[in-house]
Amino acid sequence: MKTVRIIALREDRKRLLEHLQDSALIQIKKNDKSEKGFSKVDLTSQMQVFERNVVLTEQALKVLDENCSEKKGMLSSFAGRREIDPDEIGVLASKAGNVINICTKITELNKKCTDNSAEQVRIGTTLAQLEAWQNLDIPLNTGNTKSTAVFIGTLPRQYSDETLAKELAEQNPKLEFEFEIQHSESNMTCVVIFTPISQKIMAEDVLRNIGFAKPMSPTSHTPKIKAQRLLEKRKKLNEESEQAKQEIISFADKRDDIRNTQDYFRIRADKYRVINELDHSRHVFVISGYIPEEDCKKLENLCNRIAVCHIEFGEAGDDAPVKLKNNKFAQPAQGIVNMYSPPSHDDIDPTPLLAFFFYFFFGMMFSDAGYGLLMTIVIGIVLKVFKPDTQMRNNLKLFQYCGISTFIWGLVFGSIFGDAPAVLYNHFTGASLTMADILPWPTLDPQKDALTLMVISIAFGLVHILVGMGCKFYVCLKHKDYGSAFFDTGLWMLMLIGFAVLAVGMMTSPIVLYIGAGIAIACAVGLVLTQGRHKKGFGKVIGGLASLYDITSYISDLLSYSRLLALGLTTGVMAQVFNMLATMFGTSWVGCIIMVVILILGHAINIGLNALGSYVHTMRLQYVEMFSKFYEGGGQEFEPFSLKSKYIKIQEEKTK
Amino acid sequence: MTGIFFALLGASIATALAGFGSAKGVGGAAQASMGVLSEDSSKFGKMLVLTLLPGTQGLYGFIVGFLILVNCGVLGGSMPTAGQGLAYFGASLAIGIGGMVSGFAQGRAAVSGIAMSAKDDRNFSKAMVSVTLVEIYALLSFIVSLLVVISVPGLNI
Repeated sequence: MKTVRIIALREDRKRLLEHLQDSALIQIKKNDKSEKGFSKVDLTSQMQVFERNVVLTEQALKVLDENCSEKKGMLSSFAGRREIDPDEIGVLASKAGNVINICTKITELNKKCTDNSAEQVRIGTTLAQLEAWQNLDIPLNTGNTKSTAVFIGTLPRQYSDETLAKELAEQNPKLEFEFEIQHSESNMTCVVIFTPISQKIMAEDVLRNIGFAKPMSPTSHTPKIKAQRLLEKRKKLNEESEQAKQEIISFADKRDDIRNTQDYFRIRADKYRVINELDHSRHVFVISGYIPEEDCKKLENLCNRIAVCHIEFGEAGDDAPVKLKNNKFAQPAQGIVNMYSPPSHDDIDPTPLLAFFFYFFFGMMFSDAGYGLLMTIVIGIVLKVFKPDTQMRNNLKLFQYCGISTFIWGLVFGSIFGDAPAVLYNHFTGASLTMADILPWPTLDPQKDALTLMVISIAFGLVHILVGMGCKFYVCLKHKDYGSAFFDTGLWMLMLIGFAVLAVGMMTSPIVLYIGAGIAIACAVGLVLTQGRHKKGFGKVIGGLASLYDITSYISDLLSYSRLLALGLTTGVMAQVFNMLATMFGTSWVGCIIMVVILILGHAINIGLNALGSYVHTMRLQYVEMFSKFYEGGGQEFEPFSLKSKYIKIQEEKTK
Repeated sequence: MTGIFFALLGASIATALAGFGSAKGVGGAAQASMGVLSEDSSKFGKMLVLTLLPGTQGLYGFIVGFLILVNCGVLGGSMPTAGQGLAYFGASLAIGIGGMVSGFAQGRAAVSGIAMSAKDDRNFSKAMVSVTLVEIYALLSFIVSLLVVISVPGLNI
């Protein structure tokens, strides 16, 4: 990684930045303080306009999706961004205003629809209230006449003619009244009451006592007419909404335009954000950043071709970002390393080792030739057909390599969709073959030879851990920290090897056993003597002895690899269970249909569950057992100034 | 008779107890992850991984149960003696109890992991690894159960 400073004329700013963005060569460094004579320019307001446009187009797309969903294939989420010609950007720019107008229109129409539906709800409530009054032939807000006071409203209890008359008379015997009950249900009675105008105040008192309330929506029309008008209004709103929806749907074919425009604004907003960070003087501006060493030449060529500028490179310090660079085989595993943490400057790049062990262990856990082949082929097709973006492609590649490894391990374990070939053959011919009879090569059955496989798993674990410690050894040597290299790491490595030899000796000859034990004891003595070297006085002895206790952590690390056996077994047994279930329904054609359905469903479930399990546990073995031996992490990932678009990308050939 | 009774009891215990642990673990984790998904549905993939982590105990229990059935005459194999039946029963206790308790514990760890990676996506791998730390104990129980179940048909008890 190198630092880079590009100094160019302000009039070339737009062109230069555009090309830098397209080529994604450098990561712009943010510096808060400007040098003397330089200052920042503030383009925040323009940037905000672009960002608002991005949000607007996002909303418009969401509205479109709600009103007419797009038909998408099941695998289309793997599809990469569409490639466009660099010249097409200009076309997009010219169309942008138009598209933004459409988006505004779409969101307005959508707002109208939501307003309408709110209004319709309100009308519904009013209609429900008017329901009780539909037989009333005077308006609800009818006032008093010259001689009569009129009270129209509801009482909070159920009354019949008799009970209401009695209630009113009981409240005030002097009150003269006449009433008409419009509607009566439990807890509510709608009523019209007439009294002489001279007794109005008395009547009001009485009515207040029994909880009389005026209706919520008094109108100057009779309830029937009012209800009719409301119904008409609701129908009209409905039609309007429907129309608005149709209009929104008519914009469905503009979806691609909207997406392109969204990316156009997103790219521009990014550019302006970068300009905000740059130092400007009256005539020139300065871009400072990081660039991978191998791209320096490319950058120089690019800049000199398009603008008059001065470029200087410098050595990057420890805080520079890290770009992992690996061959085709290891590249897909970079994501796994970055997920843990990109390497710091003191680390070595663990990707190639990790890639090998990742594929190897994943295969051993998933261990089925059928599943492996299926994974490899399906991913191959997806890669061919959908041309996914770099990151997705790497993820898919990772699983493709894992698939190949799974295939090979499946052959070793004699598992092809579990024991499907044998079971199906037996099912239709009545024979009783096993997979071992069918396959011409010797297989290792995890169910019968579980103990052997466990020993093998732990042996692989030992290799894995030793490789991790080997890396530590190498890193320490590189930093000339010989104490750590030989005493802290080397002795432990030798001791583990000693134990391994000892274990082999237990099964073969006593001579090997003595050699192993000898190595282990010698290392233990060495550890006791050296591990206290940083302590003083009595602590030297204690420190040395205490370090031997670390052996427990190595044992638990090694036992952890028994999951290779456990998960391998899980895949195989689950597959067997489904095969058995599938062949329980006889050989008639109904039985055959049920069999096919169960086979497909069952194996799909098995693939889903166990691929996930294998992925997670492989990752754990890498992170916990291997990385803990040597890997520090904590670096920064190289994030170049690039087109961070969602839907389109510039064709690569043209930008070079 | 006693042999097959205890063998089947063992198969049930292995499957049911380990399944109980996983069900509770996955259930709790699923609740937590749905809470996160209601805020941000794009995290579905990661949440799914964390939610399913406590699910392996149930599988281990099921496999032990299945292998007992295969060995003891229900799905092939030969009828166990009383001693063999008790051996199957004993073997099933390891994954039954170990799986159940580690299922609970892993479920709680998964809930915390979900909360952690909901705050920041970069915490996901750390959360995942921390949650799998619990798994080793279910795994050890499983291996013990498995080794016993596989070796029982050869035992003369």
